Amino acid sequence: MSLEGPTGLFQYPVTKLAMICTGAIPLLAAIGGYKYLFITRYDPFISEYHQYYRLLTFQLASINESNVVLSILIWYQFRHLERLMGSYKYFSVITLLFLYTTLIISCSNLIFNAFLPWNIWNRFPSGSLPLLLSLFHFYKQYTPQIYQFEILLTKPIFSKSKDHNKQMKWELNDHFFLNTLIFILILNQDFVGIICGFVSWLCGVFVDKHLLPGLNKWRLPYIWRYFNEYKSVQYTSGTNNVDPTVGIIMSSNTYNNGQQFSSTTSVNTLLHNGNSHANNNNNNNNGSSNNGIGINISNPLQTQGTTQTTEEENAADEPVRPLGVQFLDTFRR
Amino acid sequence: MEINGNTLVFLILILFLFFSSPGGDGVASQYEFTQLEKLRNQFTTEYESFQNMTYTDNFRNITGFKLSYQDIITNREINATYPIENKDYTHWANNQTYLLLPDRLIDTINTKVWSTPGGSPNNIFPPNITTSMTGHIELVANDEYTPIRMPVPNYFEPPTDFAENNPPGGEQYYDEWPNYGELHNVTFQNGELNIQVTHLDQVHTELNQNAKYKKRFNSQDGRWKLLNLKIEFFDKLEKEKHVSSSIAVYDIRRGRILGMSQSSKFHSLFALPHYMNLRNEENNEIFSEVKLLIKEYWNTSNYVDTLTMSDLDQLYDNALTKCEYMAFLQLEPWSQYTKDQIKQIDDELDWPIGRPVNISHIPPVSIKSGLLYSPDCGVQLQFNDVKGPRTELKVRTIRIHIIIGILLFAAQIYLLLCQMQHTNTPSSINKISFYSFSMINLVDGSLATLYFVAASVLPELYLPLVLSSFLSFILASIFETRYMISIYASQVNEAHVGILTLLRGHLRNEDDHVPRTTIVPDEASISGRLYGRFFFSLIIFIFVVSSSTSWPRKIRMIFEYIAIFALNSYWVPQIFRNTIKGIASRRDRRRNNSPTNRRQNEMPLLWRFILGTTVIRTLPIIYVFTYSANIFRHHRDVTFVVVLSLWLIFQIAILYSQDILGSRWFLPQHSIPEGYTYFKPISLQHSIEHGGGSKDEPYTVDCAICMSPVPVYIEEVEGTHKVDIHSYMVTPCNHIFHTECLENWMGYKLQCPVCRSSLPPL
Repeated sequence: MSLEGPTGLFQYPVTKLAMICTGAIPLLAAIGGYKYLFITRYDPFISEYHQYYRLLTFQLASINESNVVLSILIWYQFRHLERLMGSYKYFSVITLLFLYTTLIISCSNLIFNAFLPWNIWNRFPSGSLPLLLSLFHFYKQYTPQIYQFEILLTKPIFSKSKDHNKQMKWELNDHFFLNTLIFILILNQDFVGIICGFVSWLCGVFVDKHLLPGLNKWRLPYIWRYFNEYKSVQYTSGTNNVDPTVGIIMSSNTYNNGQQFSSTTSVNTLLHNGNSHANNNNNNNNGSSNNGIGINISNPLQTQGTTQTTEEENAADEPVRPLGVQFLDTFRR
Repeated sequence: MEINGNTLVFLILILFLFFSSPGGDGVASQYEFTQLEKLRNQFTTEYESFQNMTYTDNFRNITGFKLSYQDIITNREINATYPIENKDYTHWANNQTYLLLPDRLIDTINTKVWSTPGGSPNNIFPPNITTSMTGHIELVANDEYTPIRMPVPNYFEPPTDFAENNPPGGEQYYDEWPNYGELHNVTFQNGELNIQVTHLDQVHTELNQNAKYKKRFNSQDGRWKLLNLKIEFFDKLEKEKHVSSSIAVYDIRRGRILGMSQSSKFHSLFALPHYMNLRNEENNEIFSEVKLLIKEYWNTSNYVDTLTMSDLDQLYDNALTKCEYMAFLQLEPWSQYTKDQIKQIDDELDWPIGRPVNISHIPPVSIKSGLLYSPDCGVQLQFNDVKGPRTELKVRTIRIHIIIGILLFAAQIYLLLCQMQHTNTPSSINKISFYSFSMINLVDGSLATLYFVAASVLPELYLPLVLSSFLSFILASIFETRYMISIYASQVNEAHVGILTLLRGHLRNEDDHVPRTTIVPDEASISGRLYGRFFFSLIIFIFVVSSSTSWPRKIRMIFEYIAIFALNSYWVPQIFRNTIKGIASRRDRRRNNSPTNRRQNEMPLLWRFILGTTVIRTLPIIYVFTYSANIFRHHRDVTFVVVLSLWLIFQIAILYSQDILGSRWFLPQHSIPEGYTYFKPISLQHSIEHGGGSKDEPYTVDCAICMSPVPVYIEEVEGTHKVDIHSYMVTPCNHIFHTECLENWMGYKLQCPVCRSSLPPL
């Protein structure tokens, strides 16, 4: 397993879709003059105008440009999650978390405003902040820290000690960029961002711990074919020099992957006999044991990572060029 | 020009001179300073007299109101110098003794125009009426009323020489107006009318117009509004055009609007309170409220201190070139709404956040009855059927149109990319007409410029306009121009070659002694030349089009029809090009289909591209010419659209017939010269020139591409007659290659690999 995931969005269809949507929806809304559809306030939209559709739309697009940029960057960082879960499951989890966060934030807002006389929680967050925060839990839980580094500040201006030669040390790890982005995203929406961010992070935790059901059961209907086809197209395109059996294994792998994360056994038994049983057990333990999940989970990720990288190497191969074309290409280039 | 330090400094200096203007009030000489001081003094004295005025007072020294209609009837040659002998300055009544209006007109206004009673709950008028209305205007009388003499002060005249410091005094009466600008009369019976209404809620408080700070002044915002009213009317052929802009007062409770033009002979601002109270209702309340409104406007905007030279010039210009107009308008009430609903509609239009308002069903702002009277020209006009949507609603409609335009641009870019993908070798690009694409490119380029200019003019539509401008710009100047560069590069060989030679496809032997350049200019120099040509033709075209909008209607229409027709003949050059290149019929192409040169035998343009481009480019024209309520207010002409569509269908039909029957089917057989054929037997001498082959393989020639021997068909040698003449190719420069090798090479360049002389495409 490589330490860092591959850069770029090759074979990250869901991440790509999320990034494009995060950018395109606000842009199109701005061009069409319909940005206001994504603003939600309790007063006047819910209490006075009864526009309940706004409870569903506030997560779809950010009003603020900086939020759009931040969200796109965070989606890019989250592509590890897609690698870990597989595209189909990732997509299903995103929709599940979207529904849960929307439901919980909307309901709690309605209840809050109905029972408390003064209107203190009026604003809703704008953009996919709740969804990103709940996915942030998954990211933190299942992505191991790869490296740490320290920044040494020789003469800190604000150090209280008289000894100016004393060095100040910042310890940072590879997650720090994502942490910073999330931090800015939350601060960008001030109080609402902090409250709703916290609620949706809790929502992510609950889904992960199966307090809120659906992580393993909920799959989007009908569209799984699309992901399977997507994968198989990717695989068959590079099968020029590859043993055909590998191609078949790969497609069955993705199918299982799409079905359920924990039942990738058929593939793993073929490829890594000893390993997969352990993985399987680990996965089954996930729901009950709270300790050491990160370590346990990272094993299937390993096997998957290796298979995918070999796959990418094959897919990147150029098709065979006839001699004449090669000859002419040398002239041309 | 080389840019070094000196030229840079020079450029900056020039630009500075260009963009710097006399700051502040625009005064550039002692003479102008005195002029402006005089104007300020005049306004200040008149304002003082206005301040002391009550409803029972007559106008005293207000410019333009010194005489009344009765005065001019009594004595036609009376001079308007304050004070006039025997004139009653201490009383006031609504009749022609005190007003500029004849009694008959006052009666018409009171009974027919301002006849809607205000204040009742059924008659609610919208407080915000920002709109541009259209309608018809009808001449009631242009010789019944005596024109009122209005002198123009002489100090407005520009200086006659540089040494002059003091403008002349006195006033001048014009009996014959200088013959420029508008006609001082209205001669047509029926005409078209445009009215633009914008609200004057905030004013600059300082001379510096760039200051962002604007101040609200109106303390009676719920009852009175100050408007900018621009009235434009002209006859159907647009031979006679009148424009009048004025400050107007809008009475929200009664739905009345009064606008009077302002010039150096007519200071109407001070007369608004009197004329607004023409019906003399409610105890002079109207008079005092309007007076307060004018006062607040005057004081907040620092009216006298913010006067500039350009204001002075404008006042003088208006006085000389135009009639003064007084407009009395009565709005149609919005009876179906309550006050709260109207407020909500206004808020939603002003700042849309999705309030529960049905925006698509808001009624238009319409004028129930209107009257336009010119006191100094004696012209009375009447408005009919004047209405228009709120400006915000209009902007929404325009936005939808622009978005549809964006989709069309995106579709065009996609189609062009497909087409570029389809013809990716010089041989296939060679068959495409350069001029077809220049015509398409010209239209796209001018659209890009148009959108770009519009984006800076219409800030409320900035985003969609900039996006369309961006899309059309990359379509025109990146994709299309790139494609044109490669078309041009592939056709450079043919420069200065006659059509007959082109039809034949190669040079006749007797032409061989003419020196031909074999060195093809590189793409960089071609692209520089083409970009230059592109921008030059673009600028010329845009200049012509923009100036054509101000031409008289008839010439403009002829120009428009010819231009649209010409620019929609974009497939004609391609038909011509197909004929020159002589593409075989579809059946022949199928028969000779070999895998290596399949692309080179296809029709150069994709059918998808031809049909898609035609539809994309015709849809807007069909919309503008057939949908009478289109946003450009273009007139309806179905016949032209039908003719244009038939012309386009005819072009496409010819292209299709060329695809099916071969591109030269309409030329008589004997007029088509024989083209060059690469497949032919060679003479023994020719083969000897090429070395004649080795001992092992006699009668072969070395192929310079794959370095292996090519067996050839030699006429004189019987033994070689088994060789297929389609297995090798002889170039016009007499070099011999394998068919496969040379066809592959011709996919990259149409030059002989050995001697670099140009090759006729397959």
